[in-house]
Amino acid sequence: MQRLAEKVKVAAVFAPGCQVKPVWFEWRRQKHAITEVSYFWTDTLGWATRLHFAVSNGCNLFELSFDSATQNWTLEGIELP
Amino acid sequence: MNAFFASVEQQSNPELRGKPIAVIGAAKRTVITTCSYEARAFGVKTGMNSWEAKKLCPQLIFVVGNNRKYAYTSKQIFAIMREFTPLVEAFSIDEAFLDVTGSLALFGTPEEISNSIKARIREEFGLTCSVGIAPNKLLAKLASDMQKPDGLTVIDPKHIPQVMERLPIRDLCGIGAKTYQKLAKLGIRTCGELGRFPIEVLTRQFGITGEKLHRMGLGLDETPVVPAEEAEEVKSVGHSTTLDHDITDREEIRRYLLQLSEMVGRRARKYGVAGKTVTLTVRYADFTTFDRQESLPAHLNNSEEIYRRAVKILEGVELIQPVRLLGVKISNLRQHTEQLPLFPAERKKALLANAMDQVNNRFGDFSVTFGSLLGNEGGAKVISPAWRPEGLRNVDVD
Repeated sequence: MQRLAEKVKVAAVFAPGCQVKPVWFEWRRQKHAITEVSYFWTDTLGWATRLHFAVSNGCNLFELSFDSATQNWTLEGIELP
Repeated sequence: MNAFFASVEQQSNPELRGKPIAVIGAAKRTVITTCSYEARAFGVKTGMNSWEAKKLCPQLIFVVGNNRKYAYTSKQIFAIMREFTPLVEAFSIDEAFLDVTGSLALFGTPEEISNSIKARIREEFGLTCSVGIAPNKLLAKLASDMQKPDGLTVIDPKHIPQVMERLPIRDLCGIGAKTYQKLAKLGIRTCGELGRFPIEVLTRQFGITGEKLHRMGLGLDETPVVPAEEAEEVKSVGHSTTLDHDITDREEIRRYLLQLSEMVGRRARKYGVAGKTVTLTVRYADFTTFDRQESLPAHLNNSEEIYRRAVKILEGVELIQPVRLLGVKISNLRQHTEQLPLFPAERKKALLANAMDQVNNRFGDFSVTFGSLLGNEGGAKVISPAWRPEGLRNVDVD
């Protein structure tokens, strides 16, 4: 996976039961609709919990993360074919 | 779990499903941590170099492992298992023993419980596991290895003698290469032969382990399933790292020792323990490994103190080859209650360590660290086999 670590704009659904589902994200002026969330995990950095999502836009696999402390979404990387 | 890390990666990236993949460490010099069943079909195995594996399976896809993803998944799976019984003993990051004796009235037969757990893991993570059901841990582990992937094997108490009779002793968990060689010299190849072998001869050869081996041959094991909260206290806190390249420069070695000492000190302080013995482990380029240790007048968990002791040990060692791996450990542990030292210099050190810990607790490990460690991010970043989902062995992974 090519690491990017770029802050991005994300639309997500926050459902009851601490379920977060990213729906689309904007990266390099292009909106990518998320067609599949293939894996989810969390980790911590100090006090902050970070939610990680392996997502696909139908063509590429991306890793998005949400930092609960800063409320920032980050595009961590892209899997190039 | 079946090919745990590789299966997690195949679930994360649907493009990898059904393909031969191998999970490797992030370091320049790394070996295969695990591989998918598709890769195993070509003879690819854990511990192989990447070029060896590629020779066997040219289409093999290498994936750099993500320890945080595996640690999270492991913790969640252990939580699922604890919904069925509180008696869950972690055997590794992806293996556990469950005593379901007290859960039968609530959740059904052992087979029903196993199927429920398998279904939950498959539903929540898309992963498969192999379950062994038996009257003890030795046989349950054996049964779980009999059918992979996605197996469910039951060893009925009535069938134990038949199962053990022709079973190679190597298949038993706890019989390593050295014990196997010694037993083979005695002409013992199967568990049936081990169970029938005169116990006096085994005891002469192996000491108290001889009787245990005899009982293993009969498929007997009385060791209970011990959950983490009832487990024996951990005897040491240590970290080791395989270096990116073999090194001879003592300055560089000292830098790694400082990094390892800080990791040891941080974890010891986090869990409120201090050690009276510091051990330095060195592995040479040819894999020759040795430990040197020093006992101290008082218990310590200050990173700088641990580092100074490790360096002192290093100074007494003549390095005859380049170094491949370094490790630092404190042992002879006791609970350490915070008490500020009397003398100003010592007090300053303790306050500094405390301040650093507070910042690192807030912002993450190594947010504030020793100047000489800046840019020192080498190391294999491979999850330790001693990692556990909870307790002192629950090391924060990179």
